[in-house]
Amino acid sequence: MTRAFAVAAALLLASARAYGQAAPPAPHEDAAFDFMNLLSDHGLHNLNDEDWNVYGQFTYITSFKVPFSAPYTNANGAPNSFSPDYERSFTGTFTLFFGVKLWKGAEAYVAPEVIAEHALSQLRGLGGATENFELQKTGTTTPAVYRSRLFLRQTFDLGGTTSIRVSDPLQLGGPVDSRRLVITAGNFSVIDVFDKNNVTWDPRQTFFDEAFMTHSSYDFPADARGYTYGVAAELYWDDWAVRLGRFLPPVEPNQQSNDFHFWERYGDSLEIEHDHTLLGQPGAVRLLGYRNHVLSGRFDDAIAAFEADPSKNAGDCPAGSYNYGSGDFNAPDLCWVRKPNVKLGIGLNAEQYVAKNVGLFLRAMYSDGQSEVDAFDSADSDLSFGAVAKGTLWGRPFDVTGIGMQVTAISKEHARYLAVGGIDNFVGDGALGRQRAEGVAEAFYSVNIAKAVWLAADFQLIWNPAYNGDRPGPIYIPAVKVHGEF
Amino acid sequence: MSSRRAAIVLGLALAAVAARAHAQPAAQGFAFERFYPAPSGAGWLVLDDLNIPSSVGGAIGLALSYEHDPLRISSGGTTLDVVSDKLFADIGGSFTYARWRFYLDFDTPFLITGDSGTVGGYAFTAPSVDPSSHPDPIEDIRVGVDRLVLGNPGDPLRVGGSAQLYIPNDSREDYTTDRDFRGMLRALVAGDIGRFTYAGELGMHIRPLDEAPAPGTPRGSELLFGIAGGARMPLACGTWSAVFGAELYGASAFRSLFESETTAFEGMVSTRLEQLAGEGRRLRIKLGLGVGIVPDFGAPEFRAVVAIDMFGEAR
Repeated sequence: MTRAFAVAAALLLASARAYGQAAPPAPHEDAAFDFMNLLSDHGLHNLNDEDWNVYGQFTYITSFKVPFSAPYTNANGAPNSFSPDYERSFTGTFTLFFGVKLWKGAEAYVAPEVIAEHALSQLRGLGGATENFELQKTGTTTPAVYRSRLFLRQTFDLGGTTSIRVSDPLQLGGPVDSRRLVITAGNFSVIDVFDKNNVTWDPRQTFFDEAFMTHSSYDFPADARGYTYGVAAELYWDDWAVRLGRFLPPVEPNQQSNDFHFWERYGDSLEIEHDHTLLGQPGAVRLLGYRNHVLSGRFDDAIAAFEADPSKNAGDCPAGSYNYGSGDFNAPDLCWVRKPNVKLGIGLNAEQYVAKNVGLFLRAMYSDGQSEVDAFDSADSDLSFGAVAKGTLWGRPFDVTGIGMQVTAISKEHARYLAVGGIDNFVGDGALGRQRAEGVAEAFYSVNIAKAVWLAADFQLIWNPAYNGDRPGPIYIPAVKVHGEF
Repeated sequence: MSSRRAAIVLGLALAAVAARAHAQPAAQGFAFERFYPAPSGAGWLVLDDLNIPSSVGGAIGLALSYEHDPLRISSGGTTLDVVSDKLFADIGGSFTYARWRFYLDFDTPFLITGDSGTVGGYAFTAPSVDPSSHPDPIEDIRVGVDRLVLGNPGDPLRVGGSAQLYIPNDSREDYTTDRDFRGMLRALVAGDIGRFTYAGELGMHIRPLDEAPAPGTPRGSELLFGIAGGARMPLACGTWSAVFGAELYGASAFRSLFESETTAFEGMVSTRLEQLAGEGRRLRIKLGLGVGIVPDFGAPEFRAVVAIDMFGEAR
C-alpha cells in the first residue's frame, strides 16, 4: 500500500515544474526527495537504465528594493531608468520535466512550465545585473503555462570508458561512453547546452541574480522567454568536449517570435571544454565564442542617421517599426537602422573545487558591442567570480551558501548612443554623463528545511545601474526564495 | 453654409453611416478542438477500453494529430474556414491503482491557421499559431480520473465512469481555449468477447461559454457520445497483437440537440499494435484516419493521428 501511495503521489504531483529565463537544467540535488528515486526504492524503476523519467520543481522568489537617491530619472522622455523608489518584485515558477527513451541512444524531452512574475522597474534600468534570473520579458502577474522545451537528443557512443549517467531533469539515467557524439535538436535553451558551470550549477539552488547564470554579454539567441529552436552537436572525448550549435534569433530584438530563416539570420556558438583535476579536486575550463547574424541596429548607425536627419529621432519612429518606447524627439533610435548585422563575442568560463563541496568560479566575456542586445542582457563585456559551498563543513550538508561579484561594461559606441539620449531594450536614462561599469555583489544562504525544500535569504548590492556614474546608487536588494524539487 | 460645404458635410455623414452599417460584431475565438484523446494507457484513440488494473501501473503517451478544416463556418450561403489546418501534439501521463486511473495531459499546437472574414454577420479573425510567431503555446490542461466500477480487465462487460477538468490556458485569439474552466462527466462501457473488442461512452461536456447567435460558436454545455468496435488479431511474432477497428464520436449542444450547426460527429478507422502482457514496459502504437461525418461545430473534414503509449504495471 505504501508503494501504491508513493507511486500515486509521484504521478499526481508530477502533474504540475518551470524554468523561467531559461535557467539551464541542473543535476538533481543528491539529497533531494524525488519520485524517481522513490519508485526505484520500491523496485518499480531502474534509475541506471531508464526508459522514462519525470521530475519537477517549484520556486518562489521575492525581492525588495530599498529606495536610493538619483539626481534624475527617465530624463528627456527616456523610459528605461531603474526607479529610485521602493519596489517589490516576485517570480513564481513551476516546471515538469518529462523524458522518454525512443530507441537506442535516442531520447525525447518536453517541459511544460508555469510562471507568474512582476519585475523591478518593469525589467528596465539594469544592464547585466537583473535581480532575479527567472524574470522573463513577457511575464505577467497572471500565471501562464507554456511549453519551454520539446526536443530530441541522440547519443552515439564512440568508446572509451563507460559510466552511468545520473538520472536528472532532462536527462535519462543510463550507461554512456566517455567518448560520444550527442546531437540535440528542437525547442530548448542555448544555455541548456552551452556555458554550464558545475559550481554555480543551478540558479534555483544558488545565486538569485541573472549575472551568475551565464555571461551577461553572451547574447545567445532566444525568444522573450529565453528559449529558441536549434541544433547542437557535442563531441565528448574523455576530458575534452567540443560543442557547436546554430539557433534561431527573434524576428525582432527581444521579441517572442522566432526567425526561421536560419540560413539568413542565426546565432552560432562554439565551445571547447577541458575537465581536469588540480590538487585532487575537479575543475574545468571552457572557451566559448558566439557569432550572431541577426536583424539589429548598430549604435553608430543610429547616431549617424539622426545627425544626418534629425527627423529620424526616437520620438518619431516609423509606424509599425519596432522600438523601445522612448519619447525623446532629440535622441537617435535603433528603430531607424535595423538591418542584418553581425555580433561577436568570446568568453572564458572556469570552475575549480578547492575542497569537497567548495568551489570557485570565474566567467569573463568580451563582445564587440557595436549593435543592440538581441535577446539577453544589455552588456558588452563581463567579469564575474565567486565561491559556492555546501554546508558539509558545518554539519548541514544540504545547505548551500555563496558569494559572488560581477561587473559589466559597454562599448564606447554603446555609451555614446546612451549619452545622446538613445535607449535599448533595457538601459538608457536619457543621458549618460559619466560612463561607469555596472556591478553587483551578492551573498546568499539556502537552508534545507526539508528533504526537498530550501528556504534562502539573499542580499544584492548593485552600483552604477545602466552604466550611469551619475546615478551610482548604491542599491540594496534583499530577497528570499522558497525552492522545492520532486 | 455654401452649397459646396454642405455637399462635403453630407458626403461625410453618408460615409460615416455607411461605415457603421458595414461594421460587423467580432466573434471571439474558443476551444474548437473535438478530438479528446483517450488517456495515456487507454486502448483506443478516443474511447476508453477500461482495462484499468487493480495493481499499480502507469503510462505516458504522445499523440500527434493533423486535421484539415476543423472549423468551417457556414451561414446564409457563405462559408469561411476560420481554422483550415491544425497540427498538434497531445502529451500526457497516467497512474492506475485499484481500478482507478488518474491522468494529466495537454495539447501543444505547432500550427493553427485559417481565413479571416465575415460570415453570418460576424467578423471572424483567423488564428495564427506557428513555431515562428507563437513558439510555445499550450492549450487547456486536462486532469482527469476514471474508475472501473464493474468487471475486470479483459471481461466481456466493463462499466466505469470518468470526470475531467479542463484548466484554461493560452488565449482565445488562438482558438485553443474558452478562457473558462470546463468539465466532462462520462459513463463508460467496454468489453472483450473473443476477438471482438468494443467501447462506448455517453456524457456531458459542462461548458459555460455560449456565444449565440454567432454561427459555429459554442452553445453552452454539450452531450458527448461515442462507440468503438474492432477485432483483435495476434501477430505472427507472438509478442504483439493488432486491433483493427473504428470509432464514432461526437458532441452536440443541449440547447439545440443534434441540429447540424451545433453537432460535431466524426468517424475514425484505427489500427493499434500492442505488446502483449508481460513484465516491464509495454508499447502501444496507434494510427487513425478520420473524417467529419457531420463536419461542423469542430469536426474536421479529415484527421490523421499517430500515437504511442508506453505503459506497464507491477505484478
